Amino acid sequence: MEPIESAYLDEKLETVKDIDFLQYRSTDLPTWCPGCGYFGIVDAFYRACRELDLKHENIVTVSGIGCSGRTPIFINSYGFHTLHGRSIPVASGLKLAREDLTVFAVAGDGDALGIGGGHLPHVARKNINITFLLFDNSIYGLTKGQSSSTTPYEMRTNSHPAGNPDTPLNPIKLALSYGASFVARGYAGDPQGLKELIKEATLHQGFSFIQILTPCVTFDKENRTWKALKENVYDLNLHIEEKNMETAMRMAEHEPYGVGIFFQDRDRLHYQEILRNLNAASA
Amino acid sequence: MKDINIVIEICGSAGEGTISAGEILSRFMSSQGFEIMSFDSYPAEIRGFGKCVAHTRISANPIYSPGKLSDVLIALNDKHSISQLFALKENGILIYDSQPARPHKEDESVVGWAKPGMISYGIPLNMLAHKAAGNARGMNMVALGALAALFHVDKLAFTDSIKARYSKKKQIVIDSNVNSFLEGYDWAKKNIKKIDHHSLKGISLGRAKEKLIINGNQLVAQAALDANLSFYAGYPITPATKIMEILSKELPKHGGTLLQTEDEISAIGAVIGAGFGGKRAMTATSGPGFALMTEFTGLSVMAEVPAVIINSQRGGPSTGIPTKTEQSDFNSAVSGGTGDCPRIVLAPTDTKSCYEATVLALYLAEKYQTLVVLLLDFFLSNSIRNIDIPQKPSAEMLDANIAPDKEDLKDYQRYKITETGISPRAVPGTKGGMFFSTGLEHDEYGRPNYDDANHLKMTQKRYKKFNTVLLEAPAPEISVKDKETFDIGVISWGSSAGAAHEAAMTAQKEGINASSFSTMMVSPFPEKDLIEFADKCKKILIPELNFSGQFANFVTHILKRPVERLNFITGRPMASEDILQKMREM
Repeated sequence: MEPIESAYLDEKLETVKDIDFLQYRSTDLPTWCPGCGYFGIVDAFYRACRELDLKHENIVTVSGIGCSGRTPIFINSYGFHTLHGRSIPVASGLKLAREDLTVFAVAGDGDALGIGGGHLPHVARKNINITFLLFDNSIYGLTKGQSSSTTPYEMRTNSHPAGNPDTPLNPIKLALSYGASFVARGYAGDPQGLKELIKEATLHQGFSFIQILTPCVTFDKENRTWKALKENVYDLNLHIEEKNMETAMRMAEHEPYGVGIFFQDRDRLHYQEILRNLNAASA
Repeated sequence: MKDINIVIEICGSAGEGTISAGEILSRFMSSQGFEIMSFDSYPAEIRGFGKCVAHTRISANPIYSPGKLSDVLIALNDKHSISQLFALKENGILIYDSQPARPHKEDESVVGWAKPGMISYGIPLNMLAHKAAGNARGMNMVALGALAALFHVDKLAFTDSIKARYSKKKQIVIDSNVNSFLEGYDWAKKNIKKIDHHSLKGISLGRAKEKLIINGNQLVAQAALDANLSFYAGYPITPATKIMEILSKELPKHGGTLLQTEDEISAIGAVIGAGFGGKRAMTATSGPGFALMTEFTGLSVMAEVPAVIINSQRGGPSTGIPTKTEQSDFNSAVSGGTGDCPRIVLAPTDTKSCYEATVLALYLAEKYQTLVVLLLDFFLSNSIRNIDIPQKPSAEMLDANIAPDKEDLKDYQRYKITETGISPRAVPGTKGGMFFSTGLEHDEYGRPNYDDANHLKMTQKRYKKFNTVLLEAPAPEISVKDKETFDIGVISWGSSAGAAHEAAMTAQKEGINASSFSTMMVSPFPEKDLIEFADKCKKILIPELNFSGQFANFVTHILKRPVERLNFITGRPMASEDILQKMREM
């Protein structure tokens, strides 16, 4: 079969490809809706890879199912689109077997906190050295607008037309209490800021968690819209390195639109270091 | 001496040393040149006073099955042993405690329940144990001593065996065990008049070839290490847990990594992640865990990522009977999961082939970039055999990935259609080999593609690969080959195969013209071989340890002719005696 024709003007692409972050973009045309926040996320991702000068062939992006699941297709590297909720186990196995690779796991809010919610505590407490990007648009987009684990209480959705009866989860609080060693929140509308967070997370040795606030322009017209996000999101100017869990928790509880690094523990060993130490000690 | 073939059962309460006595007995008999097969049964609960039975078959000839009935029952506990008398032959030997700590009421003593044809030897087990070590703990050794005396066993060699078993313990433990054994031996020599004809006099007199005394789980772990396993992820479940425990200790020494996950979904996910990274990876589980792993079976097949799942079957469905053996996950192994999902399924037929099957599983998964399910069962996992030390896998078996060459990488198509169905596989880190894998239907580049012609083409590709596997299938085992026709052909799989082969060979001696067929590879199934065998047989019998005849249904579909079935869900391994009885009736 002939390769699908490039979605871009090849010549134009060639000229920018070698000099800039676009070299991390694949030639496949994104399938997301026009105006989707995810374009901002992958833009930040390309820029972070460029500034970290990561080798394409050493990057693997592992995704689950949902709109975020398509992300690896649009990255010029190795990619694995796995099962609903399971990007974390697959990425963990890959990283533990291939320490030399830079492994990203991406997931949506339904993916990571609903069906795959059982994996997050364990990857965090084990401190497996991967970077996890939570594309949080607080709705199921690919199945067309049902309530997810972060949909606000009483918001009307296609699965709850009378209003969502469930109290939403707070992803930052979860990540903190599960023991993640790097916890941050970013915003799809600020690729430059998000880029910095992704860079920090990638350099962090251990499990790093970034919740990314992003709108679903098609299925959420009342809550997390571009307009609402623009009005509410602000930089916390926060980078808590003193492992101050108390401050981090307070911020997580009271600052739902604040972006920044809530918590980072640079001293904690990542999983493979722990295994190596324990095995050496018992040998 | 050549026809020594004896089954000994030791029955006691948990904590009475029943299982360790069985272990010492089988190790010693192996050192004396005998073949041994032993299988313990114990309750699912850790604490308490449940019934334990150590079952050991000892033979001068090859052993195929554990033997249904015992020749000797050693009763360490009267209450439990009464309920074990059903398994003692009508002319069997009962060794019991003639002076129990507390006098028994009439119906509490096992000897009171012995049938008239049985031979009972009363030994003051409790009294002699107290005499030797001041407590009742050595009763199991006293009983072994009596057994040794009665069956002409070399006393000194046996005491050496006991010393070796407890070599890491304190001297006082070694002494009390040895002394208890000697008390039992001397007392029986002096006081018992032997009226049976059995003997266990060693056949090689210490010159026995070095054997490995091992169970299926241990052998699977050993084989995985020998076959360059690099990553293991798992979640504890009976009867597969031991594989993880062994690898947890050994895998890091071989440079590998072991991950205990939060559930079985995560375990198989991590295995597939490691497989994607180009490393050999596996997990082991049992039915309930396999049910969870089924979520991922389709991804391994669709995205063509190597993965090995060991499923040691236990009684089902649901939580079922965790410490009993069954062969009831055939259907779920061969066809569980989503869509048209061809996967390789291997079912070793005896302990020894657990090694071969594990090496083969890791090799086939890597070479064919797909899922391999290896079906063990509680019996294969836990029964102990003495086997020849297995040959290490060849270099060819250790490096099977077909990597893309320079030409392939010019315009790399991860899922390129080839004659064998196998597409050259790049692993992350390969320059120019970048690709995207997905559980969605995809084109040869790996890009999602839902076009019907493409779906057909790629499905055909996956089945082409699946059928290519058959070229490497191990040859089926056929017990009697030198005849043109058979009245009865027994077709079996997994741990039932030994009993089936034994039954067919015994039947030949009885004048029933029978043969038997089994194959380690059950998916893809060597249909040609099966049909060739079945065409020679007037009647077909399919014994298996499940209720619905899962394998029989599968075989019937291939043979398109009626078959006789023999199904048990007793939780006990298949008995050749039962198959033979069925053959007599056919």
